[in-house]
Amino acid sequence: MKHVQAHSVEISGAQKNYGQLAALDDFNLRIEPGQFTVLLGPSGSGKSTLIRSIAGIERLDSGTITFGDRLIAGAGLHVPPEKRDLAMVFQDYALWPHMSAFENVEYALRRRKINSDKVKHRVEEALERVGLAGKGKNYPFQLSGGEQQRVALARAVVGRPSLLLFDEPLSNLDADLRERLRVEIATLTREIGSTALYITHDQSEAFALADQIGVLKSGKLQQLDTPEKIYRKPANRFVAAFTGISGSFNGKVTFADGKNVTVQVANVQIECKSSTGLKVGDDAEVLLRPSATSIEAKKHNTLIGTVLDVAYRGRGYEHVITCELGVISGVFATEPSTRGDKVDIYVDPHNCLAFAI
Amino acid sequence: MAVFWTLITFILIIPITLFLSVAFSPRLFDQGKQWFTLSSFKPVFSGSYGIALLHSFILGVVTAVGATAISLSMAWLVLRTDAIARKIWNGAIFALFLAPSYLIALGWQRLFEQRGVLEIMGLHVTPIRNLLYGPVGICMVLMVKGIPFAYLVIANAMRGLGEEFEQAVRVHGGSRIEAFKVMATLLLPSIFSALAIVFAEAISDFGVASTLSNVAHFSVATYQLYQGINSIPVQFPVSAATSLTLLALVILAILAQNRALRGRSFRTLGGRTRPATRLKLSAAGQLLSGGWIIGILVMALGVPIFGAISASMLQGLGSLLSHYSINFSNYTRVLGSRFLRAPLIYSTEMSLITATLAVALAAVASKVLTSAKPSRSKRFMDFFLLAAVALPGIVFAIGYIFTYNLKFINELGLHIYGTSFLLALAYTANALPSTSRSLVGNMSQIQDSMMDASRVHGSGPARAWLDVTMPIIARPLLIAWLLTFSGTLLELPVSELLYPPGSPPVAVGIELSLAGFDFGGGTAIEVLSILWALFVVGIAFFIFNRFAPVGWKRLGNQQ
Repeated sequence: MKHVQAHSVEISGAQKNYGQLAALDDFNLRIEPGQFTVLLGPSGSGKSTLIRSIAGIERLDSGTITFGDRLIAGAGLHVPPEKRDLAMVFQDYALWPHMSAFENVEYALRRRKINSDKVKHRVEEALERVGLAGKGKNYPFQLSGGEQQRVALARAVVGRPSLLLFDEPLSNLDADLRERLRVEIATLTREIGSTALYITHDQSEAFALADQIGVLKSGKLQQLDTPEKIYRKPANRFVAAFTGISGSFNGKVTFADGKNVTVQVANVQIECKSSTGLKVGDDAEVLLRPSATSIEAKKHNTLIGTVLDVAYRGRGYEHVITCELGVISGVFATEPSTRGDKVDIYVDPHNCLAFAI
Repeated sequence: MAVFWTLITFILIIPITLFLSVAFSPRLFDQGKQWFTLSSFKPVFSGSYGIALLHSFILGVVTAVGATAISLSMAWLVLRTDAIARKIWNGAIFALFLAPSYLIALGWQRLFEQRGVLEIMGLHVTPIRNLLYGPVGICMVLMVKGIPFAYLVIANAMRGLGEEFEQAVRVHGGSRIEAFKVMATLLLPSIFSALAIVFAEAISDFGVASTLSNVAHFSVATYQLYQGINSIPVQFPVSAATSLTLLALVILAILAQNRALRGRSFRTLGGRTRPATRLKLSAAGQLLSGGWIIGILVMALGVPIFGAISASMLQGLGSLLSHYSINFSNYTRVLGSRFLRAPLIYSTEMSLITATLAVALAAVASKVLTSAKPSRSKRFMDFFLLAAVALPGIVFAIGYIFTYNLKFINELGLHIYGTSFLLALAYTANALPSTSRSLVGNMSQIQDSMMDASRVHGSGPARAWLDVTMPIIARPLLIAWLLTFSGTLLELPVSELLYPPGSPPVAVGIELSLAGFDFGGGTAIEVLSILWALFVVGIAFFIFNRFAPVGWKRLGNQQ
């Protein structure tokens, strides 16, 4: 597929209220041309409102949206969705049930005003690209959930729009299909070169897809960064917690040098990373990334606990362990321990984060 | 939307509001001296109005209980047993749904009246006639007319009631009777709904009121209203007060239903619901169930159809002749006489206009009603359409007479009283509430994202509506159009009060013929009208099934 002329997307000071509730609260975001951005947040964080405002389905109360140099919304202006040159994949697929798969995909080319032979060629190419060659005549009800979402994906990319929007497109699919379609989305979007904005509440999806991730909470952007930075240097406790932890404990800071801190939790000293300016004597919360713990004994940063549960995960075993500090889940080991066993848990300081309470 | 709201204001909101408010403020409309009074309500609860109202109330209660009980048994036989006779029920129920109550009543009358078809055949039917021409007969016809409403509500609930509820009772030690009790409890919401709907239909009915109860001299509120509007001077404040009382009774029934169900939510329909298996009936069971189903159908449709057809083919019915012959001369007379066939042609024209206008407005109204976003216009529309559903057709018609005869309306240059234009508007307003409600279910199934998807992939609002919404609800739209067409073709109360001089619609044409003792001609018009309605329905479905795109035909098929 040919590369499109992608454009940047900029949202400035966006505000959208539903009664007393601020779905977007002075929201700012910039997406570079051709960049794949994922917005990650829990339900009610404003991510759907944002993507629908960019699509033109919702109107902002205030603030602006700009595509490249073109003002799309703001200052009394609201360019209707059909004039924004974008495409969208919806959570519930939003396929039109009275149209076949071919007709659904073809629909997105009507605005392109190209001749029928080319249309046929491009629709067939798009269907083939998503693995649905030969299924063009099928109606949505004759397709499985995964196939329906593939049609929706083909419909979105066939017109080679400058901007592609994805509204939690994988949330209705089972785990295996989700993984396969995620790869399709990642490769297809990069193949055509459109700017892409994808929203989800699933952190693994976000890390797998994104060039940059934005984490939202209560209509505000908490952090916008590369996946690596979001994981290693979360801006605050919310970002850290939402991007995956396996345990958390409260304690007091006994050492701090700006980057590394030691927190006294009960009778244990735990070394952690912190970039939030903690000082000695501060109350702090220690958050453990799932990759921070393993069943092994070391001289420092080691806790003793009892195995509550063990689950086989293919490459090894994940344990749920209770210790004097609380419960830690996802503790990995290549060999299983038995429920009730006493074990040593090593906590890797690089994946252990401390935040002020 | 501006055009839509303007039309709704003129055909629905203004006539209803102005007419009903005259009950409280006669002076506002030059109908009395008081700016505010409740005195208009005094005659409603005394004298002939009071008796008529009491009759209507009792008839409503008895009819509701009877029709609901019969419908419950029918729903169980049709959906939960292998009764052979159930196969004829589903088709018949829609015929019953379409048949106006006055045609059912007239069919019975033609058979059992003095010198009627059965007496001409030499049968002694006086005892039955005495029963028919009184509260028992009136109640029976109203019950028959209420059955399709109650059946559809109860059957829909029963369809969603999977077998697992019964099985859960049985595996936890419950007997067959206890399982039945649980089933009955789960069906309570639909039973209460059926009671409320049939009660509302019965007390609003004008068809039986103007035929059987009129002949039987058993006064009911709707006919009392009609007589009030035909007396001189017309007492609009009293008519409005009577209308409000009728409306209040309907609303009370709905409130009683809500109160009875307060705090109970029997959500039984889920993705895991398993369809129930049918009970295999013994030979005796088949015989009994067959007798019951066929017996009800004979009373509901068989007798009226036989009455109408036999009367239409009897030469000399209604006259004092001693010789009668059976032939098609009444039909040839109707088809050959411009005077007799004109009502059918006029009603067809009016029905075409009304059905098209009502369905177009109903599509927009149902879209407003199913909008996911709460809005003032949605709440307003919901209230008015609910009130209008509860408003009897006769009240609608009187509201139109009152409003479009008002001095200030005439001073505005709206001289439309007594015109076909006003009749079409009244038909549309009368049909709009039920047509909108019938589309709401289908419209609510259209996910907003489908329209959004059309917009973001390049279509404007109008194009998105035509490309997405229209095809998806094509079949329900067609059904709504046909129901409105058939309903308007045979409509009585609005036609009776608002037809332009010299242009009687079908229902009035039939009544005029019968009033002139041309029973053969009147019933021939009846039969021809029904055949014409069925022909239009058949042709419309043929065209749709033959020419509509494949995707359109598959959708809405469950309707």
